[in-house]
Amino acid sequence: MAEHGEKPIDRERIKAFLERNKGKMKRLLSHCVHCSICAESCFLYMGHDKDPRYMPSYKAINSLGKLYKKKGKVDRDFLERIKTMVWRDCVLCRRCYCPIGVDIPSMIALGRTICRSQGVYPNFDESDQKESWL
Amino acid sequence: MFDFIRGPLLWVAFIVFFGGLVFQLLQFFTLTRKKERLFLSVHGKTKGRWSIESMRQWFESLLTTIIGTHPMMTILTLIFHCCLFVTPIFLLAHNILLDESWGISIWSFSESTTDILTVVLLVCGALFLLRRIFVRRVRAITTASDYLILFIIVAPFLSGYMAYHQWFHYKAILFAHILAGEVMLIVAPFTKLGHMLFFFLYRFLIGSEYSFGQGTRSW
Repeated sequence: MAEHGEKPIDRERIKAFLERNKGKMKRLLSHCVHCSICAESCFLYMGHDKDPRYMPSYKAINSLGKLYKKKGKVDRDFLERIKTMVWRDCVLCRRCYCPIGVDIPSMIALGRTICRSQGVYPNFDESDQKESWL
Repeated sequence: MFDFIRGPLLWVAFIVFFGGLVFQLLQFFTLTRKKERLFLSVHGKTKGRWSIESMRQWFESLLTTIIGTHPMMTILTLIFHCCLFVTPIFLLAHNILLDESWGISIWSFSESTTDILTVVLLVCGALFLLRRIFVRRVRAITTASDYLILFIIVAPFLSGYMAYHQWFHYKAILFAHILAGEVMLIVAPFTKLGHMLFFFLYRFLIGSEYSFGQGTRSW
């Protein structure tokens, strides 16, 4: 957990981020046809025995997609759950290929922005770190 | 009821469909007013748009897309989408109705051809369904709405096939066929089916590495 872990979640700020990017992001999320064709373009997916959790679409749908679905009404536990998805499982190399043209990295990037705004980001100096960030 | 679905509701469906597409189009152009020139390409651009070298590079760049990574899926989706658009437009029965209503007559396929195209589309739809159920990575991101959208797309074709072959109760099936087509038209601009329009906008107009055209628009 990041150093600001105990601070309460500023939902209004999250909602403001979501609202500001709504026009683009809601379209991108709604036009993803869940075809999974983006999978092979992600080296992390290929390097993790083709684990679906590393698919670009999986990461975008389950991070930013859920933030929009919940309309920003999330708690710290939720942000901690999506932390690994947006910070560790994606390096934002922008190599993901979507046949429809959905800009997946921009969705992950917004997920990161929202997490960072609430102090949810990896901290490599944590002594009680339980998960590998490498 | 039958008169309602083949009369006013049909108009509503067409107005919502075309109006919805125009609305989406206008919103897209409003949201992407910002323009920027991007020079992103997996393969460098050579001079001479129609030179052999530039065409070779264009072909090579295609191999980095779904064509190179999923050739079977490319063929399957291409056939599916072609049948989806071509079959209802060039269907003889639809064009007879068009001729009777407005005196507009367009070229039609023979009934046996559209029959085959419908079966091909239904087979493709069945393969998409099987892929959704049995392929692990597709299943991982599949939601109930994906099945519903697939059903909405396939339903007019399945009911149309059944109506043409007069299976079960003809009038009931025809009723279902018209209604299914109208539902498809009404939901298309506002759901995942909107990719029928946005595929072209995203791939040609938005500047990106994978852009097919000289996209300069930016969100």
